Amino acid sequence: MKLAVISCIHGNYEALNAVLSDIDTHRADQIYCLGDLAGYGPHPNAVVELVRSLDIPTCQGCWDEDIVEGLNACECSYPSQLAEKRGHLAHEWTNRAIHPEVRKYLATLPMTLRQDNLCFVHGSPNSQHEYLLPSMDGFAALERVLSAEADVLFCGHTHVPYLRELDNGTLSVKVQQPGQGETQHQFTAPLKRIVNAGSVGEPRHGRPNATYVLYDTDSAQVTLREVPYDYAKTCAAIIEQGLPPIFAWRLARGMEFAERADDPGHVCER
Amino acid sequence: MANWAILSGIEGNLAAYEAVLADIRRQRQPVTDLYIVGDLVGLRGDNEALVRRVRSPQPGEPIPQVCTGWWEEQCFSLHGLRGLPDAPELVDRDRLGTVKDLWEAVSRQTVLWLADLDFGFHELDCLLIHGSTVSYSDELTPETSPLTLCDRLIRADANTLFCGRSGLAFECWVEPSALQSTVTTLDQTAAPQEQGKSPRRVVGVGNVGRQAGQASYVLYNPGTNKVTFKQVQGSLAKGFGASKGLSHR
Amino acid sequence: MPHFIAISGPSGSGKTTWISQFLKDQSTPQFYVCPGLGEISMDLARIGYRFPWVQVVAEAQLRAVLADLPDQATVYFEWGFHLDLGSPFLAGLGCERVAVLPPDLTESDWHTWADRVVAGNAVAAPANGHLPEVWCTPLTGQVFDPPSLEVLLLEVTGGAYGQVCRLKGIFELPNGRAFYVDFVEGLPGMEYTELNLPPWLAGRPSRFSGIEVTGWGLEQQAIAQTLLDSGLSDAALSQYHQHF
Ligand SMILES: [Zn+2]
Ligand SMILES: [Zn+2]
Repeated sequence: MKLAVISCIHGNYEALNAVLSDIDTHRADQIYCLGDLAGYGPHPNAVVELVRSLDIPTCQGCWDEDIVEGLNACECSYPSQLAEKRGHLAHEWTNRAIHPEVRKYLATLPMTLRQDNLCFVHGSPNSQHEYLLPSMDGFAALERVLSAEADVLFCGHTHVPYLRELDNGTLSVKVQQPGQGETQHQFTAPLKRIVNAGSVGEPRHGRPNATYVLYDTDSAQVTLREVPYDYAKTCAAIIEQGLPPIFAWRLARGMEFAERADDPGHVCER
Repeated sequence: MANWAILSGIEGNLAAYEAVLADIRRQRQPVTDLYIVGDLVGLRGDNEALVRRVRSPQPGEPIPQVCTGWWEEQCFSLHGLRGLPDAPELVDRDRLGTVKDLWEAVSRQTVLWLADLDFGFHELDCLLIHGSTVSYSDELTPETSPLTLCDRLIRADANTLFCGRSGLAFECWVEPSALQSTVTTLDQTAAPQEQGKSPRRVVGVGNVGRQAGQASYVLYNPGTNKVTFKQVQGSLAKGFGASKGLSHR
Repeated sequence: MPHFIAISGPSGSGKTTWISQFLKDQSTPQFYVCPGLGEISMDLARIGYRFPWVQVVAEAQLRAVLADLPDQATVYFEWGFHLDLGSPFLAGLGCERVAVLPPDLTESDWHTWADRVVAGNAVAAPANGHLPEVWCTPLTGQVFDPPSLEVLLLEVTGGAYGQVCRLKGIFELPNGRAFYVDFVEGLPGMEYTELNLPPWLAGRPSRFSGIEVTGWGLEQQAIAQTLLDSGLSDAALSQYHQHF
């Protein structure tokens, strides 16, 4: 069975259309969506209507959650203060533009979807706001896949697609408790994989093209797809709709945000 | 030379705290730092008297450094200071009666003082915290999956994670010995990377006040990197409790 | 007799760099003047930070300083591209005239003006008669969120707010350090130099910092807003300071 996994459409109707045609030409049997239908882009309502009309199973993204529940992200979920301020502007705009029935639909989206040994989430199994970056410590990444009770964990949220294979994970543990002898045991994990679907509508891999992934359940083959689309049209709509022009400038470049340096003293209070 | 005493879960039990302080005074190598990682207050003890005692150490006693724990968070929730309102975790656990008890057991003034405390302490290469950086309610025990323990150590960004949520005393060395990671992006497949690393540990610091006459805590010597479990039997009322040290490397 | 040297050339050609090699010398009194930008001059501030023994002269003090120069003094005038080469002020001083020019520029007003031509950076000479505008603002007291500053600099120099051929700035970071940032269109990358100043770890720095952007069609308001959005609040700053 051939699956197509899309994520982070962010109100970009042009990009979604281009990706859906690319999926058509690859004859995928089933599409999954990892959320973030709204936010940043100019067409949140049209995107949601299209996803619904195609009956695409969708999990709730960080933006979908925030549109439903009000801004709920800890500052640590933004890569910089500037990104956070812009995120708030986009949130306010989207919050005004979104139709009531669209908001209702976003509220019904589940946190996770499953099919056999596959698990689908937006950020991580813990939270829609957690970034599973490819540079993340391998054991921490392995923990996320195992806590999802899956062999393959599909996620989005970072807007940069990747495949990460984690093989031969081995941990040994030595326990000492007062009044008891020392005990030791070993733990091994079979091959686990993280597949990040990238972003349809707000790619940040350095080019403007939309990204998504194909997954063959029989061969376990993962294909990262990059699809050109008429981004100038979306950029024009961003400006026309009164969204910050810098969004259009960044969209046209597939620009990545600078990463915030990790602050070990920060305990997320979300 | 530095010598830390780390305790958790006094839960308002002043007698048990005094017994631990007495035990600390008896140490041949003087205790230089005293950490209390959460659950200073609880349902049963005299929380007000305990907090007064903690806030006014006697001459020669180390000044306690206190962070918040599960019971403190319940107070914050109940008093609407942070987290979800009306302490749903407490309601789930112990029904409504305890909510009323907790409301009466800790004054608002004390709750406000508690609300200013830290979530935990980063000292040297150690994190001292009630649960973990994931949550104050994260309960780590020797039975917790090794991968979860490993994850908590990575998140803690520490070589030793001292925690008190489980109330158990234990030292658990976790060695993530092997893992091969291969990342493929749009532009390239990077060469596989070996991610194994040296062992790190999670230390459960025991519990001071939950069980009468059964206080436990740990001593940590940053110079030798050695953890020593301490059990203090009996209470102050009975005079001196026998103190039995158990230690290993 | 004091010695006067005027240095001119297009934006980014390397005027300040050329002058800096002489300012290292502490044996005779040296003066540095960068007229035209009033009190907010990145060059003035940077020279002052790098060479504390050099007297940097703001425009307001210029007359008084010139009237009372020691005999062995050398005075460097950094003559920006936007200033008139035929200025009677320069002519009256009897200056030595040095042009720092891109190597492939063979004919220009600078050539006719200069006593001496020095090969500088290979920057594009400005299009005929279409001089860029200069926008500058002091940022003293502002401390930047480091990843936001990185985004901001990439956007401004990448042309998100108009075409930029030059950016100079002095920025304060929450670790108490100040950086000099220099971007020249056509040269690879951006230059970050940590200024050799004591770290400022309590409250907001009161020493000078600022930004100077040169280019065409600059969206000044949008740049200013982005600068504002990238600065740390008092609360965020004191949190940082507790960490360090
Ligand atoms: Zn997204
Ligand atoms: Zn997201």
